[in-house]
Amino acid sequence: MGITGGLNPEEYDRNYSDRELVRRIVRYFRPHIGKVLLVAAMVSLISILATATPILISRGIDTLAANPQLQLLLTLAAVITVMGALSWGFNFVSLWFSARAVGDVVLALREDAFRAVMRRDLSFYDQFASGRIVSRVTSDTQDFATVVTLTIDLLSQLVLVLVIGLVLLTQNVPLALITFAVGPVVVIIALVFRRLARNAMQQAQRALATVNATIQETVSGIAVAKNFRQEAAIYDDFQDVNELAYRVQLTRVAVFGSIFPLLNTVSGIAVSVIIYVGGLMAIERDISVGEWYLFVQGLTIFFYPITSLASFWSQFQQGLAASERVFALIDDEPLVVQTANEPVGRLRGEIVFDQMTFNYSTGRSAVLQNFSLTIPAGETLAIVGHTGAGKSSLVKLLMRFYEFQGGDLLVDGRSIRSLDLSQYRRQLGLVPQAPFLFSGTVAENVKYGRPDATDLEVETAARQLGDGSWLEDLPNGLQTDVGERGARLSLGQRQLVALARVLLQNPAILLLDEATASIDPLTEAQVQDALATVLQNRTSIVIAHRLSTVRAADRIIVLRDGQIIEEGSHETLLAQGGHYAELYTTYFRHQSLEYRPW
Amino acid sequence: MSRSEFTVADAYTYDHRSTLRWLQSHILRYKGLLFTFLLTTLGMASAQSMTAVTVGWAFDSVIQNEGRAGLTAAALYVVAAYVGYGLFDIVNSLAIRVLAQRVERNARDELYLSLLSKSQTFHGQQRVGDLMARATNDVQQISLFVSPALGTTTESVLTLLVPLVTITTLDYRLLIMPILFLIATYFALRRYNDNLSPVATQLRATFAEMNAGLAETISGIEVVKGFAQEPAEEGRFTHNAGAYRDAFVREGEVTARYVPLLLYGLLIGLGFGHALYLFMQGIVSVGQVIAFMALLGTLRSPIRFLLRNIATFQQSFASARRILEMILTETELDQNEAGVAQEMVGEVVFEGVSFGYGQFASGEFASGTSANGETSLVLQGISFRAKPGQTVAIVGQTGAGKSTLTKLLNRTFDVGNGRILIDQIDVRDWSLDSLRGQIGTIEQDIFLFSRTIAENIAFGARADVPQAEIEAAAQQAQAHEFIMSFPNGYQTKIGERGVMLSGGQRQRLAIARAFLSNPRILVLDDSTSAIDSNTEDQIQRAMHNVLAGRTTLLITHRLSQIRSANLILLMKNGRLIAQGTHEELMAQSAVYRQIFVRE
Ligand SMILES: Nc1ncnc2c1ncn2[C@@H]1O[C@H](COP(=O)(O)OP(=O)(O)O)[C@@H](O)[C@H]1O
Ligand SMILES: Nc1ncnc2c1ncn2[C@@H]1O[C@H](COP(=O)(O)OP(=O)(O)O)[C@@H](O)[C@H]1O
Ligand SMILES: [Mg+2]
Ligand SMILES: [Mg+2]
Repeated sequence: MGITGGLNPEEYDRNYSDRELVRRIVRYFRPHIGKVLLVAAMVSLISILATATPILISRGIDTLAANPQLQLLLTLAAVITVMGALSWGFNFVSLWFSARAVGDVVLALREDAFRAVMRRDLSFYDQFASGRIVSRVTSDTQDFATVVTLTIDLLSQLVLVLVIGLVLLTQNVPLALITFAVGPVVVIIALVFRRLARNAMQQAQRALATVNATIQETVSGIAVAKNFRQEAAIYDDFQDVNELAYRVQLTRVAVFGSIFPLLNTVSGIAVSVIIYVGGLMAIERDISVGEWYLFVQGLTIFFYPITSLASFWSQFQQGLAASERVFALIDDEPLVVQTANEPVGRLRGEIVFDQMTFNYSTGRSAVLQNFSLTIPAGETLAIVGHTGAGKSSLVKLLMRFYEFQGGDLLVDGRSIRSLDLSQYRRQLGLVPQAPFLFSGTVAENVKYGRPDATDLEVETAARQLGDGSWLEDLPNGLQTDVGERGARLSLGQRQLVALARVLLQNPAILLLDEATASIDPLTEAQVQDALATVLQNRTSIVIAHRLSTVRAADRIIVLRDGQIIEEGSHETLLAQGGHYAELYTTYFRHQSLEYRPW
Repeated sequence: MSRSEFTVADAYTYDHRSTLRWLQSHILRYKGLLFTFLLTTLGMASAQSMTAVTVGWAFDSVIQNEGRAGLTAAALYVVAAYVGYGLFDIVNSLAIRVLAQRVERNARDELYLSLLSKSQTFHGQQRVGDLMARATNDVQQISLFVSPALGTTTESVLTLLVPLVTITTLDYRLLIMPILFLIATYFALRRYNDNLSPVATQLRATFAEMNAGLAETISGIEVVKGFAQEPAEEGRFTHNAGAYRDAFVREGEVTARYVPLLLYGLLIGLGFGHALYLFMQGIVSVGQVIAFMALLGTLRSPIRFLLRNIATFQQSFASARRILEMILTETELDQNEAGVAQEMVGEVVFEGVSFGYGQFASGEFASGTSANGETSLVLQGISFRAKPGQTVAIVGQTGAGKSTLTKLLNRTFDVGNGRILIDQIDVRDWSLDSLRGQIGTIEQDIFLFSRTIAENIAFGARADVPQAEIEAAAQQAQAHEFIMSFPNGYQTKIGERGVMLSGGQRQRLAIARAFLSNPRILVLDDSTSAIDSNTEDQIQRAMHNVLAGRTTLLITHRLSQIRSANLILLMKNGRLIAQGTHEELMAQSAVYRQIFVRE
């Protein structure tokens, strides 16, 4: 979204050498080499015409001063006119084709960046804010396009500088040297400016990012601010940030606002020198009046590219930095890599954690340490334990969202590293702790895993949950628009949709991570009935939040700090009076009718 | 004056009658800067013309062998003209850029203020992404409108006109070609504008679409991967990115056909020819031909500037329209400053309350309304009475309307029919400040700001709450202990949307926040679902004390809490199907009994 726009460096960022960077950029243009060459040819032709026009005019002026011949002069004017038209034509061709080439290249780059993002496992998404990832794929690639257009522009101007420089040298060496002398002056000014501009630019962008982040937070948290009637306070905060951003922008304005006038004045003084010195030479007949004219014009033509080089340089560098960021995104390797792509048919559902060791990132303490667990096909296993015990982690590993460091995870006797990941994941049905809905209708969300499902199938899946009466509460039933992230549904409804989505998918293994936490006791009872049938003939792992769910399981394991400390059925465990009994009092006591804390 | 939930006394008022007037009123707020800009622009154009004319003099003096004196004078004039130009230029570019920054700042401020003044109905309907786009990109676009677009266009127009005047001083007959050129350019620009407009709109729309789609895919990545739908998402993205590419190419085609550039090329040739012809007739001198060509040369950059500026103008107008649209969106709530502001006792009465999310629907937002308009009501005919200090538990199936009901109390939304009375006074007659200040809410979806823990707890209270009070509130909410376990304690900064904290921890912070604001009426929406029994015990005990004397609306899954409420409301499909105490409902309602037989 470009809100905090990939300004801050990310961990996967790397520095590419200029050569590497150019090589990468060139590679994207290779398929369009024809168009690129054509554009380059056109651009050179335009430069040549741009130089030829003042030369012709200067010849005309010489004719005027010496012996004017109408015939010759009119021919000259006609030629200049035709050249003007030609120049436009070349410009047309070059813009026409460069738009195509740039459009296609940016599209290719975006697709590559998107694919790279999709390839990444969840550790990547944990680490990097979604807004930043989005801005890399959409905005930074856009800046890449700017680099390309600017490069074309700069190259054409460089050609122009060379051509006009040569022409001036052939005319008169001393005057040409005076003309070239402004070059170093401009370069020095440009270098100083570059440093100032860069600083000012970065600060301005940071300030802007802060303002935007402040607005973003207000917009997301507006309900809280309103409930507490804190509008005045957050408005004050906003004003401070907004004012600060304005002040920082003023610095930028001062730098950028003075550079062009300065450069223009330098060029003006140079023009005066040329007029004076050239005039003297013309008086001495060292040069013709036409040549004198050519130098006066030539200086402006010569000067323009150099000043624009100076001013676009920061934009150019910004674009290069953006390209660098995109390439870094593309080049970073996912941690989850399959060793083979064995096809996965319908799974029986036997799961074996074999001496597994896992941590979310190196340096962190292990979440699982030599963890072993066998789940026979068809079993319903409940996992209980304190927050942070590693329950959700087990499920995510099974989904192969993260790479584990030691041991193995076998499904139907095969390591999950060797399976075709897409086929494998389609055999699993996960209802995560926080249900996510895509904008669209309820039906579209239920169909998400199986886009080809018929309306009847969708309806059946939805009706399986709590006699389907929850559908009646939806304003338009299955066609209700859920809003952004499902905001127009109540939390419980979102969980029901997420459940229906998995039911429709008919997975071989069902993973429910506190899937009914937000569903009211009334619906919960009915959902339990539905789940009981669904769980019956497939392997299921249920992370329980509700007493009733745990009771219904074939086996319960108690997890603490990534270790299984107890297992058995509800009755046997409760009778043991161990950890489960303690957990029971800790987690489920308050769900019972008799609970009274005071 | 439109209604608003929040206003600032000394806010500057802008003209909202049309997009153009709105932009105008923003710019005209700084007449001094604008005047400086115009004056210096005129100065620049004059200096530029003067340069061209003096260059002509220099040539004439050399050709006519007037010696060095004439040349020296001309060269000095040129220096003076350039230095003058430089001075004007620097003042000019600073003036317009500062103006642009001020306009940007003020537009952002105006939009922000108007967002604060909008009701929750409005915010509920907005997509965060869309709103952010308006507050960020569109506001920046307004600044681009002033500088460079408006700046360089004014400059361009003046640099197109001043040379014409100057050409007249050479010889009026030289004017023919430039004038023909200007007329042709005028029409060519209009056509260009018409061609560009739809393409620019498309370009913007496709970019927004691509961005929003990608953002959604990434937010839901767990689901995408879980269902192995990467190929489908890739298809969607490729489609969106392809649509943008097509729009981009089409824009390239339109800019490629920019006719004024062709006209300019023709002007140079034809103008030169015409000047030569006049020379042959003995009407103009060589110097005048040269001055004329130099003047034509100054037309080049305005023509190039207009190419870019027209696109910028269009984008800026679209942006301004979107910002103004947001500012002007009516909001149905008013802060009601003159309303009742008194200490609440806490009696709550609902009288035949009905409500539907679609009831204020204006075009865009109508998803809550079905064809016959009946099912659009989320609440229908709700009546009950809670005495001060009572606890009311609301029970009902997911989607029955429980959360919605509680949101009507503090006028997050206004009732459609019927009325809600607090202490016998309609909530719409309370001052919004007083009403919301005395009703504390702990929502289902807890939002914490990315500030320190202390600031989050103190959020609802008046400014500069002593640390001791913050800690006391945290202690009551059983949050003190875990807060102190962080290295920075109360000064710990909470990350994006409070992700660093567990659900239970966030809930406790929200409870502390509500405690500190010391409300008379408390609304708890499922606020303790993710907390374990021990913590729950402690919070419940704290609550029990703090709740004493406060009226409480409670939505909970805890059967024990439901049972011990003074009044239980049983809801189904937006209606109140039974109310009473636990014992009464157990006796009367089969639906109610169903909840309890399971356990
Ligand atoms: N995405 C993540 N990145 C880093 N650490 C994590 C992540 N998710 C969980 N953890 C850590 O791993 C441990 C186990 O967490 P989790 O499996 O979510 O527990 P549970 O589901 O039992 O509450 C906790 O210490 C938690 O802080
Ligand atoms: N912001 C909203 N816009 C439109 N409809 C909504 C919105 N919030 C909730 N709804 C609808 O209103 C009904 C009641 O929702 P809610 O009050 O959240 O139910 P509960 O809290 O009882 O689960 C549901 O059908 C839901 O789809
Ligand atoms: Mg978990
Ligand atoms: Mg709710």
